[in-house]
This record gives sequence, C-alpha cells and structure tokens, in this order.
Amino acid sequence: MANRLLEVTDLEVAYGDVRALWGVSIHVDAGSVVAIVGANGAGKTTLLKAISGLVPAKRGEIKLSGTSLLGRAPEDIARMGIAHVPEGRGLFRQMTVLENLELGAFQPKARANMKHALEKAYDLFPRLKERTGQKAGSLSGGEQQMLAIARATMSEPSLLILDEPSIGLSPLVVQQMFQLIEALHKQGVTILLVEQNIHQALKIADYAFVLKTGELAMQGTGAELIADPEVQKAYMGVLEL
Amino acid sequence: MTAMANFSWKWAAALLTIILALVPFWPGALDSYLFSFLFFVFIYAVMAQGWNLVAGFGGQISLGSHAFFGLGAYTTAILWSGNYLWGSLYETYPRIYYFDPVTMVLSGLVAALAAALIGLPLLSKLRGDYFALGTLGFGEILKVIFVNGGDFTGGAFGLVTPSSTFETLMPHYWTGLGLTAGTALAIGWLMRSRYGLALIAVRDDEMAASANGINTLKVKVAAFAGSAFIAGIAGSLYSYYIFHVGPDSVFNLDWMLLPLMMTVVGGTGTVLGPILGAFIMYAVFDIARIFVPDYHPIISGLTIILAMLFLPKGLVRKILPMSLARN
Amino acid sequence: MTLPSPEILLQLSINGALGGAMYGVAAVGLSLIFGTMRLIFLAQGAMIILAAYLVRALFQHLGIDPFLSLIIMVPVGLAAGWLIYQGLFRKAAAEEDRNISLLIAVGVMFLVQNLMTVIWGGNTAAVVTSYTASGIELLGVRASFTRSMGFLIALAGTALVVLFLRRTLVGKAVRAASEDMTAATLMGISPHKVNAIAFAIGIALAGAAGVAVATTFPFNPFAGFIFSLKALVALALGGIGNVAGALAGGIILGLIEAYVQFFISGGWTNAIAYGVFLAVLMFKPEGLFSRPYKKA
Repeated sequence: MANRLLEVTDLEVAYGDVRALWGVSIHVDAGSVVAIVGANGAGKTTLLKAISGLVPAKRGEIKLSGTSLLGRAPEDIARMGIAHVPEGRGLFRQMTVLENLELGAFQPKARANMKHALEKAYDLFPRLKERTGQKAGSLSGGEQQMLAIARATMSEPSLLILDEPSIGLSPLVVQQMFQLIEALHKQGVTILLVEQNIHQALKIADYAFVLKTGELAMQGTGAELIADPEVQKAYMGVLEL
Repeated sequence: MTAMANFSWKWAAALLTIILALVPFWPGALDSYLFSFLFFVFIYAVMAQGWNLVAGFGGQISLGSHAFFGLGAYTTAILWSGNYLWGSLYETYPRIYYFDPVTMVLSGLVAALAAALIGLPLLSKLRGDYFALGTLGFGEILKVIFVNGGDFTGGAFGLVTPSSTFETLMPHYWTGLGLTAGTALAIGWLMRSRYGLALIAVRDDEMAASANGINTLKVKVAAFAGSAFIAGIAGSLYSYYIFHVGPDSVFNLDWMLLPLMMTVVGGTGTVLGPILGAFIMYAVFDIARIFVPDYHPIISGLTIILAMLFLPKGLVRKILPMSLARN
Repeated sequence: MTLPSPEILLQLSINGALGGAMYGVAAVGLSLIFGTMRLIFLAQGAMIILAAYLVRALFQHLGIDPFLSLIIMVPVGLAAGWLIYQGLFRKAAAEEDRNISLLIAVGVMFLVQNLMTVIWGGNTAAVVTSYTASGIELLGVRASFTRSMGFLIALAGTALVVLFLRRTLVGKAVRAASEDMTAATLMGISPHKVNAIAFAIGIALAGAAGVAVATTFPFNPFAGFIFSLKALVALALGGIGNVAGALAGGIILGLIEAYVQFFISGGWTNAIAYGVFLAVLMFKPEGLFSRPYKKA
C-alpha cells in the first residue's frame, strides 16, 4: 500500500437538518494529485471544509498521517500541515501581496523558514513579485488566485487543498493555473483538488473521486475516469470526444 | 403530542391572564407592593416584546428603544398639556385625555413614523452594526432636541400633566396587562403569517430572501416601525402613571437596556421569552433594590453577565417544549 | 454676527483638538475590539473612568505622579484586557448571536460603574497637581499643559498600535482576522488569540486614556457611558476598522463640539455631534477618510 497521507472514512456532514454528505470515503497518497469532481451541490466544497475543520463532521473519520482530525479547530488543522485555499480564495484584500504571503507562514513552524519560502513562491509566481506592495484586492482575478495558492504554499504544507482554482478565470489563465498545479506537483507537493473543469482536472490527477448528491459515485485513476463512457456522458458532454 | 402540549399551554396562559386580570379585586391588592410591581413588569414586557420583534425575529439589533418610548411618552404629554386634540371638548370632559385610546395610538404612530424615517436610510445602506450605532445616536439626539424644545416640550424639566385625574392604578394595571397579552398574541399571530415568514427569512439569509422576491428593506423597516409603535404605546402608558414627562426619565437608556436584557434572558426570537424575562429580571432587580440598595446595580450587572455566560439561548428554550419555544 | 479674531478661532481649534483626542484614543480601542470580534464594547468608557480613579488613587495614596503612572496603567491594562476576554468573552465569541457579547459588555459597564460608586462615591472627582493650571503659550494662544500631555498620550498610543498592526506578524494577523476570520483560521491563526490581543490592547489604551482624563477633566463613575458614545461617534467618523482614522475622528468630533459650543450654544453640542454621526452612518458609512475601493 502506498503512503496514505489523508484518509476519510464514511464521512457524514449535515447543515442543521439538511445532510450534505452521506458516508463518503476518499484517500490521498503522499506526493499525488487527487481530484474530486462532480456537479454543483454534490458536496465537494463541504468535503473540503470538513477536512480543514470549517464544518463539523457528524459521523465518520478523517485522518492525516494516522492522526484523527475530528473535533479539531481549523487553526489547529492548519498547523498540522493542511493548507486550504477556500472557495472565493479568502484573500485579505485590504492587505498587500507581501503581507498575505507572510500570513501564509504565520504558524510557528513555518515562520523560521519564511524568507526561503518567500523566495520560492516568488520564483514560482514572478508576477506576484512585481506586485509585492500592492493591495491584494487590486489584483486581477488570475493574480488573486495565484496569490491564494502561493500563500498556501508558504507554510510548506504536507497537503494542499484547492477549491475550484479555475473558477471565474479566462481560458488562457486556466491553462496557466493547471500548469502551476503540475509544477507544484513536480516539487513534491501533495494536492487535493476540487474542480468543475472536469476534463482538465482528470488530466492532471493521479487519482479521482466522483461525487454525486453527497455520495461517492465513482473512483479511479484520472486516465480511467476520462475514458469512462459514463463520466463522459454525465460530466463532460459527448461533444468533447 | 405536540399539539396537545401546545393546547394546554395556551389554556394555561389564558387562565393566568384571567387570574392576573382579577387581581385588582382582591381586598387590599391595590395598595400592595405586588400591584405596582406587576404594572412595571407589564410595561417592561411590552417594551421587551417590541424589541424582540425587530431584533429577535428581524435580526436587526436596535439600540434605540428608549427613543421611541420617550417619543410616545412625550406625544401623550404634549397632546394633553397643550390640548392639541380635543379642543373645547376638553373643558366639558376634563378627563378626556386620560387613557384616551386616540392619544395612545397617536403616541405609538408618532414613534412608528420616526422609526420609518430613520429606518429607511439606516436599514437600506448599512450592515447591522451600523444600524445599532445609528439607533443609539438617534436616542441621544432626541433627548437633546426635547431638552431644547422650549415651551413645547418643557425644556430640561419636561411637561407636567394634570395628576388630579388620578383615582386608582386599576386602568394602568389592566391596560398594561392587556398590552402584554395583546402584543404577545399579535406577534405570535404575525410570525405565522406570510409577513412573519418573510421577516425570519430575511434574518436567516438576506441574500436568499431577496433572491426569492422578498423586498427585504420593506420587511425590515416594517418590523422596526412596528417595534417603535409598541414602544410608543408603552411610553404613553408610562406617562399616565408618572404625570411628569422629562427628558432624563423617559429617554433614559434603561428603557433600552433593560428590555433588551430581559428579552435575551427570556429567549430572543420567542413570544414568551420577553414576558418571562421581564418578570424574572424585574424581580431580581427589585429584590436587589429593596434588600441591598447600595449594591443593587452591581447585582444587576452580575446577573446579566452570569445569564449570558450560562444561559445564552434564554430561559424559555430551557424550560419549555421546543415546539412552543420556537414560536 | 462678526467673525471672531483668528486668535479665538485658533484657540477654539486647539481646545477642540486636544479634548477630541481623548475620544479618539477611546475609539482606537473600540476599533480594535470591534475589528476582530464585531463587538461594540460599550464598557470602554467605564474602563477609562475606572483607570482615571486608579490613577487618582495612586497619586493620592502613593504619591505617584499621574503621568508616571502610565508605566503601571498600560501593563495592568494589557493584563486586565487579556483576562476580561478569557474570563467573560471567550465563550460568547464563539456564538453566532452577537447580542450575547454585547450584553456582557453592558453587564461589565453596569458592574464597573457601580463598583466605582460603592468604592469612591458618586461625586465628581479630579486630580489636581502642581502643574494642573499651567499652560504653554505660543503666538498668543494658550494650550493647557495637561491637555497637551493628554494629546501626546493619545498620539503616541495610536502610533504604537498602528506600528504593531503594520510591522509585526502578530499585528498583521489581527488585521487579517478583522478582515476575514475564517480565512485567518486557515492560516493557523487562533481566533481566541487575536481576540484576546485586541482586548488587551484596547484595555491598555483605556489605561492610558485614564491618565489623560484624570489629569484634564473632572470625572464621576457615570461619565463613562457618554464617553463610550462619543468614542462610537469618533469611530464612525473615522471609518469602522480604521485605527488611525478613529483618532482623527475623535479630533474632528472635538473640533465640532468646540465650534458648536462657541458659535451656537452648549446645549446643542451633543445633538449636533450625534447628528453628524447619524449623517455619516447614513451617507458615508465607510467613514470620512475612505478612498473609493476599486474592485478587481
């Protein structure tokens, strides 16, 4: 068995009386890119939020390298090595690019290494270096998404969670975004990715899970799922063939 | 099962109301401490119910109840002492302003109008926090305006109304009881109506409510004006009790803070919470005032803090069946 | 009406600005606490008056100079703020219903006000030192020495807070939490830590403001609430969440009060001050100093 970094078992999450996840199990191996795909309202974002502690789990188990994450506050989970780039990016818009990046390395463990991490981030995202003193809110949509990802890498997390990184971006920028994700992957970062852009996501994913109305519908390697006629029919449209 | 519980609770409330209505006939009751105690509980319960409408059900924290209470009290005192309403009839019937329903309703309407006027800009542009601050400022502005109102408002001293009309506390008591029961019934009914559902929808998720075609501004302003109407009538009732309406007494912040506190202790967003909270908190304050007069505000302060630390959801939700507490 | 001489106008402005800085420093504390907790800490004024009484007690019983007592009041304020948060607000901060925190603040206000009344009586108190009556004269205009010191305290206190928020990582975390608490927790920032820090600094500022108030104004246990209200006005003028703006808002409020008092009448000062407050809330809720924010 490969090195299991994250293991989610039979996870149930509910908002009040409305259940969003019905016993979902997924796993992420160290060093891999795992995609979670599915239609709107399938529970993808909820799954990510449960992993990073933003919503409580009703039942089930979430383990990071064997340690349970259940009942922990999001800030503790962040310190355990999960960096979550949330829906809507969660940038501090009134603060500068540099300040946002510094806050990415807020955790005591990362603070010592901040300088090195900053250099690395600027190498990977040279555009951000040019904008270092600018307010995050004044950046373009693509730059904001880069900043959000760069900020998440500042803590050198063991697991990077990206919630819809391509949303609201122009096709060209989407291309760049996926190239960046691949570049991060090559540096050895483990990535858990939620995407609406299913074709792109499956192309770069080592393994993928398909969620459907709060339940796991399918799983397999990216290549397997791309070739699966059901996935093609349901999510990619026959025209893309 | 819940229907049964609901049913019996309603009967219990009705029975309690009838018993309370009969209290004045008990020999010696009129001169008892209990009688004036209950009268004040009623005033505070009505004020609390009004605040609960805009804050508990509407989700907009108003810090201006005292402004509308004072407006109501002043409206009654001004109409009466200046005889602006009944003209020559006042000479024939010298008691015509005393517990005059027209005067009382007008007092509520003036307060409601003022609330609509400041509510429109405050609720259309601002997040909730700004609404709270704005209403707080409004109360302070009114106070200064009434101090500087010259003969019309009686300046810093205020207005005196003919206390010779006073014979007994009975009308105060019954009006207070009637308003307490009436506002509870009216709000209970309102919250089951289309409007009430809209108000709660706006509180829970304004964006979603607006997307569903609810005019959120209209709904919020209506709740604010309704709550001011209730406070204005309570102010009117108080002016019949006190016969001297002055800026420091009727625009006193206690008229905002105490009802707010009572509602939260009883349970915000419930119909019975404000009444229960008014009863319990007023009893706590009064007992403290009687037995440890020097320390009673300290005890009041401590009570609020302890209540919030250990009963943040209110008493009603602790002691009543959920189905009932929710309404 | 003839226009008053430039000296009088200048004098008015100086008096107004020096007095308004007191509101400003109170507003800076409110701004910090509001920033992370979304709580209107109504007891801030009462805390300032409590600090003023403590300054007086240190002076009367131990002979400590009021301005020297800053080195006691500020650390005591930091510790007290931390404890107040941990003891009273920590639980309520986690609740969605913000009424709970607001009411705890009201309870603290009642409690502090009346504890002061029980301990020191309800009469007006003041701290009179050898230099209370002295002033600084320049260009025919006189500035009271103690008020000028109060102004400096307000300025220095605000400057320190701004430096902390802009230059230190923890300060940046406080700003981040004020802007988006959820995103801040994803950075590993603990909400309770930033809330406690905001409270500690807020109460430390109340301690410093207590020194300034004790030396310049007569005070009584119930003066605190009006002080809180004025601080809220300053906060709104400066833009909620803008720390330096809060100080500026206080100074503007002081100027408005001084001019109204001179040109109209003392009786209308409060109504006009609150009128400006309402107008700002209605028409420029981001405050007077906000630049239009360009959305990307």
